[in-house]
Amino acid sequence: MTSLDKRVFAHFDWGLAFFTLLVPLFGLVVLFSAGYDAEGTVNLFGLVNVNFPSAACLKQGVYLMVGLIVMCIGIAIPTHTFYRYSFFLYGVALVLLVAVAGVGVVVNGSRRWLDLGGFNLQPSEFMKLGLIVTMARVLSKRPPRDGRSYRFSELLVPGLFIVIPMVLIARQPDLGTALSLGIVGVGQILFVGVRRKTLLAIVIAVLALAYPAWEMLHDYQQRRILVLLDPESDPKGSGYHITQSKIAVGSGELFGKGYRQGTQTQLEFLPEHTTDFVFSVLAEEWGFVGCLFLLGLFFGLFVSMLRIASRTRDLFSCLLAFGFTVQIFAHVVINIGMVIGLMPVVGIPLPLISYGGSSMLSILFGLGIVQGVSMRRLQYRPS
Amino acid sequence: MASFERPSLNVNMRTWVAMGFCAACLFVLALRLWHLQIINGHVFRDRSENNRLRMVYVPPPRGLILDRNGEVLVRNRPSFNVDFVTEDSPNPEQTVRALAEITGQPADDLLEKLTRQGKRRMYEPKLLLRDVSRDLVAKIAAQRYRLPGVIVSVVPARDYIHGDLAAHAIGYIREISGEQLKNPLYAGYRMGDVIGQYGIEARYERYLQGERGSQAVIVNAAGNKIGEAYSHLALPGSDVLLTIDRRLQEVADRALTGKKGAVVAMDPNTGDILAMAAAPRFAPSIFTTEVSKETWADLVDAKGNKLTNRVTQGVYPPGSVFKIFVAAAALSEGVVTPHERFFCPGYTLFGTRKFRCHKHSGHCSVDLFEAIVQSCDVYFYTVGQRLGVDRIYQYAHDLFEFGEPTGLGIGDESSGLIPSTAWKAKYFRNPEDKKWYPGETLPVSIGQGAITTTPLQIVRGLSAVVNGGVVVKPRIVRKVVTSDGRLLEETPATPEVVRKLDLDPEILDKLKRSMVGVVEDKRGTGHRAALPEVHGISVGGKTGTAQVASRESGIKDEDHAWFAGYAPADNPKIVVAALVENGGHGGAEAAPIAQDVLAAFFGIPDPPPEEAAPRKKKPTPVVEASDD
Repeated sequence: MTSLDKRVFAHFDWGLAFFTLLVPLFGLVVLFSAGYDAEGTVNLFGLVNVNFPSAACLKQGVYLMVGLIVMCIGIAIPTHTFYRYSFFLYGVALVLLVAVAGVGVVVNGSRRWLDLGGFNLQPSEFMKLGLIVTMARVLSKRPPRDGRSYRFSELLVPGLFIVIPMVLIARQPDLGTALSLGIVGVGQILFVGVRRKTLLAIVIAVLALAYPAWEMLHDYQQRRILVLLDPESDPKGSGYHITQSKIAVGSGELFGKGYRQGTQTQLEFLPEHTTDFVFSVLAEEWGFVGCLFLLGLFFGLFVSMLRIASRTRDLFSCLLAFGFTVQIFAHVVINIGMVIGLMPVVGIPLPLISYGGSSMLSILFGLGIVQGVSMRRLQYRPS
Repeated sequence: MASFERPSLNVNMRTWVAMGFCAACLFVLALRLWHLQIINGHVFRDRSENNRLRMVYVPPPRGLILDRNGEVLVRNRPSFNVDFVTEDSPNPEQTVRALAEITGQPADDLLEKLTRQGKRRMYEPKLLLRDVSRDLVAKIAAQRYRLPGVIVSVVPARDYIHGDLAAHAIGYIREISGEQLKNPLYAGYRMGDVIGQYGIEARYERYLQGERGSQAVIVNAAGNKIGEAYSHLALPGSDVLLTIDRRLQEVADRALTGKKGAVVAMDPNTGDILAMAAAPRFAPSIFTTEVSKETWADLVDAKGNKLTNRVTQGVYPPGSVFKIFVAAAALSEGVVTPHERFFCPGYTLFGTRKFRCHKHSGHCSVDLFEAIVQSCDVYFYTVGQRLGVDRIYQYAHDLFEFGEPTGLGIGDESSGLIPSTAWKAKYFRNPEDKKWYPGETLPVSIGQGAITTTPLQIVRGLSAVVNGGVVVKPRIVRKVVTSDGRLLEETPATPEVVRKLDLDPEILDKLKRSMVGVVEDKRGTGHRAALPEVHGISVGGKTGTAQVASRESGIKDEDHAWFAGYAPADNPKIVVAALVENGGHGGAEAAPIAQDVLAAFFGIPDPPPEEAAPRKKKPTPVVEASDD
């Protein structure tokens, strides 16, 4: 009951709070430029028209405020509640994923959304939370029998928990989210530990399975991966994004072209420059210095989160904090890697920066949970 | 629980490893950024500078407007706009001045237009001149070297095939205004977009507009196109089929030439508006180019605003046309029987005041039929007094919907006014004026005094009398069809019923027979609406000559001439109302107009003028062509 008493606030992690606020605020500054339209009037959720030259920035600001409220909810929910309802969360997410395969709304050729009369729900977003919580529970309930690292037989059940939603999401198709889900689950397992022999066997098995998996990919997904290897081969099709994005990033040089001076973005060379490719706007206008600044902010965020994980007294809380860290980390690396041509274009947003409400809300909720873990680190004892 | 202890797991070590991994990954990203931005930065900088995208918006062809038979009334034609890309001109002002010199336009006007669009990005074309002539295009092309950044674009413009035909119904399109841009209704529109501003063009803007296409053209630093990045095709707007019949509309329009007034024809069974003409008219095409101050002044001339749709916005006392509805009230309320006779000495005395009949010598003894046929005022003064103003109001307003807009949906409709004791008590401030004096009922009984209606209300009211007592809602659109033939909206064959009147069919019959008498009886005031007898189509109707009171000037203006009629008398297919402002006698001025429309409706050719055979069995004296 007294999950938020005075002692709890004593362990409020100011570092985490600092980076949690600073990253999206910096994001708003970037979005103001990325979504700039001098003539634009912004229609806020069909309610009011506001004279503001950047729709993306203004709406993201609103999402941020809502997100901060959602974060407080994440803080207020006691950690053991997540423990108790982890399977329930996972189950609901799984049902929704199956439902979306049947009656989902098709957007841009993939079936990712459930139309809930008025607003759209993306069940894969739910599953991210469900998987982190469930894996934390499964792994903390059954730590390695030898007390150090898992053997193969112990990984079958946790593996199943990861693979089922991955397959469902990959079939939508939403390769990026499936991939990040896998990374989070595997990351949590690896954190606890896996025997070297087992690890080797799994890696070999995955490589062996890679070919049939490749065959299962959709044409456009195959093409995106191929284009990654040689983007110039298809400058107008799949390579267009990567080529233009690399020009944008590269032309930023050391100090950038200046705020709102990025020709690549202001001239609309880059589709999706407020969402998945927002990093290229930053790179073009703020240069190498600006990129390092953002990477630094993210590093600060990760360090704060990992520190919270390391200070927990129980494995569940620890894995919970670590899981969210991996989730944000994977998104950051995949997104930036994609924008600068190190990874295939998979359509993953840059956490806390890319324009978009659902991503903002789910990330801030996760950060709220981590903050909650920090605050209850001495108090929490699952029964 | 033991499982939550973690004695053997070295969490600290693990987080350190994680941090290290994290740092390593970010370091790789930073390394790559270093490679792109620092080592190869200048290469990409060069490429970005030669990499310019020009977004060209492709305006969609607007949907067509067709008549009820699918005949095209308004279509699109290619037109030339002169745009200017500021970025491509080393000295924009100088370029614009050069352009002004070539076109003969004041340079300041053009510069002002440029500043108005100043918020638009440097590379985006800004509109300078709309719908210029081919000659001018040729001149501009010839002087290209003086005009860097000036481009001529081909865009669809409205082509009004029949000129000003049905101008008030069709309406016009014009560039979206600053006020409209701020309105949430117009979200998604951009400065320079052309939208419907009046009539059907405005009302069906959502369907007619279509979807803007866009083309991203890659240009080099010199502004020359070197490729195309991506493009979206424009989606043409949907076509709107009106209920209006082009032939009938032409006749109605022509009949009003040189006059001020309105003609409206409606199918009394469905509410379909078959023709809707108002004069004076405007030519919608004047709005395709810039509208000069002189043109505006001419349009909104105080003497007769050409933009006023007199069918729905003009309010006039209905005059004797209103007697039909007073008669309906009187018979239904039983204050008079059809056979009761009154003596008309040419006037009636009310107290000391003398109310005149329009025929000063009097009609002698008249019953209801004769009173309507000859439009005897004294008969209706008496009947009106028996009813009292509130019962007249009850029938005219509550049943026949006079004083209420019809909801046709194009433009603002006037409601007109049916007076009553309640209205007077509410409308006037002075207690003396609040009271209804019985003497005021007399003019109301013959459609004079404070009472006003629109021509469309007259048609709606008369339709209810002749279609068996159904008040229908007028409508002007039959269907909306997308450019690829999909039906978006279709009005059903059955009318939208506003009200079914609970009136005795015998009373309606009596009124209809009387109205046929107005046109066919030798004493009738409306015989000039009759169709040549050989065609066997009998017409019913009622004339009206409404006095125009102008108390301020003291000068008596010419009366408004009314005729409202229908045909065929036994099974009405069309109801028509004609009004000529200050036209004089309804029977002489308005009835022939209605006759023209009816003749066109039934496909009866105009008789050659010299052979204008007598329409009636016996030519009637001219005196009797007057009423009121």
